[in-house]
Amino acid sequence: MEILIQLVSDIGKLWAKYGASYLSGMRSTLILALVATAIGCVIGFVCGVLNTIPYAPGDSPVKKFFLKLIRVIVRIYVEVFRGTPMVLQAVFLYYGLPYFTNGATRFESVWAAAILVVSINTGAYMAESVRGGIISVDPGQTEGAKAIGMTHVQTMTHVILPQALRNIMPQIGNNFIINVKDTSVMFIIGFPEFFSAHKAAVGTSYLYFPSATVEMIGYLSMTLIASFLLRWLEKKMDGSSDYELVQVDPLVMTAGTYSHPDKGTPFDEQSREYKGKKHRSNRGEH
Amino acid sequence: MDQAILQVNHLSKSFGTHEVLRDIDFTVKKGDVTSVIGASGSGKSTLLRCINLLETPSSGEILYHGKNVVGRGVNQPEYRSHVGMVFQSFNLFNNMTVLENCVVGQVQVLKRDKESARKTAMEYLEKVGMAPYIHAKPRQISGGQKQRVAIARALALDPEVLLFDEPTSALDPEMVGEVLGVMQRLAQEGMTMLVVTHEMAFARDVSNHVVYMNQGVICEEGAPKDLFGAPQKQQTKDFLARFRQN
Repeated sequence: MEILIQLVSDIGKLWAKYGASYLSGMRSTLILALVATAIGCVIGFVCGVLNTIPYAPGDSPVKKFFLKLIRVIVRIYVEVFRGTPMVLQAVFLYYGLPYFTNGATRFESVWAAAILVVSINTGAYMAESVRGGIISVDPGQTEGAKAIGMTHVQTMTHVILPQALRNIMPQIGNNFIINVKDTSVMFIIGFPEFFSAHKAAVGTSYLYFPSATVEMIGYLSMTLIASFLLRWLEKKMDGSSDYELVQVDPLVMTAGTYSHPDKGTPFDEQSREYKGKKHRSNRGEH
Repeated sequence: MDQAILQVNHLSKSFGTHEVLRDIDFTVKKGDVTSVIGASGSGKSTLLRCINLLETPSSGEILYHGKNVVGRGVNQPEYRSHVGMVFQSFNLFNNMTVLENCVVGQVQVLKRDKESARKTAMEYLEKVGMAPYIHAKPRQISGGQKQRVAIARALALDPEVLLFDEPTSALDPEMVGEVLGVMQRLAQEGMTMLVVTHEMAFARDVSNHVVYMNQGVICEEGAPKDLFGAPQKQQTKDFLARFRQN
């Protein structure tokens, strides 16, 4: 019991002195995770779409060559960034840029470097998720879209991708939560995230365990709130589970009579009469 | 009235070494209601999918108003927008409401403005009796209702000919009637239709031309009263006899 009281008082001491730095660390972590997940999703969607452009046996060899080339490039990107540790990628890029340009160019801010590294890392994972999401949509949806004359791009943007996005929402959530935690490796390039606040605090106070407790609680509350919000978002995307029957539709008059955009209504005189008015309504014309 | 919309010449289709269609010839004229009947696996659906270019024919040509649409350099989406298709499995867009399903093609493909697209969609949804359900998602309505929406979606693009790929085969028996009723009304209004079906009563009573397919070839074709009343070929007789027993 005493030891717990001790812990609480230590945490109190830490918070009094380093509270602001913990909070600003949390803010940086959340912003980095959010921005990088969003950019990573965009990268993932672009790669996933490029990877699933279909080619028919009858297509020209040039088209086939380019499509294959794109697939190889995406494949290399995915394998390289999925297959190496993010902490190493951060060091590699952050110090690689000045090394290759003899110090002429370097990252202006650690923010740019951190966002770049986490984004392309997330993108590598998302590329595969998006590809899976696209494959998981029933091929009948593509056929339905093609049958009404949609092009490949229209089919993708209006029919397939919205459904793929819904299917991979849990994956996007996964990536976001992983990013909240894994951005902690960005301390390596001096990014001021939540975990670096811990390092700064224990450097002078030596209260290792109490500070780690603060970190644990902090990370857990961020991820719990995130997963709660993600569930809510998924439900919202599904839309309401019931629908309203439209009993009186503004466009439909009595059963069997329609207001045709060109031919007008069967009540032609009334039609003409109403043409001049601003608010043309088919209701209550009788 | 005697104008040919679609003309299929020497059409063949193979999947690997398996020849599904062999040297098919036939014509769809304006106002025709053609039923394609035959046993499962006889190539009926493949023929329809070839006509809509969802399958690429191995050889032969499909003339749309005299212009070949098979091969490179053809604007496939443009052609498809003139040739509506209704699928066995409905294929309504699951991410859209009933109304959006019927609007999206008009706006994206025909570049109509949203308001007139909505009006046209409502007109056809009313026609198939689905106007009260415009806010429902496809997963919330029954199979028969889905198929009626699919018909409205195809009609909304004002196609010249409508292809039906076994439109009632995936439906419960009590829902078949509502879909066939809609199709019958369309036929009476002069819509050009090409229907792959197992509904013999529909083929006999509604269509004015029946094509019997057997093992990838057109075995016999003619007016329904001739084909059903006095079939010439032995295979046709056997096929129809099997159906009468059921």
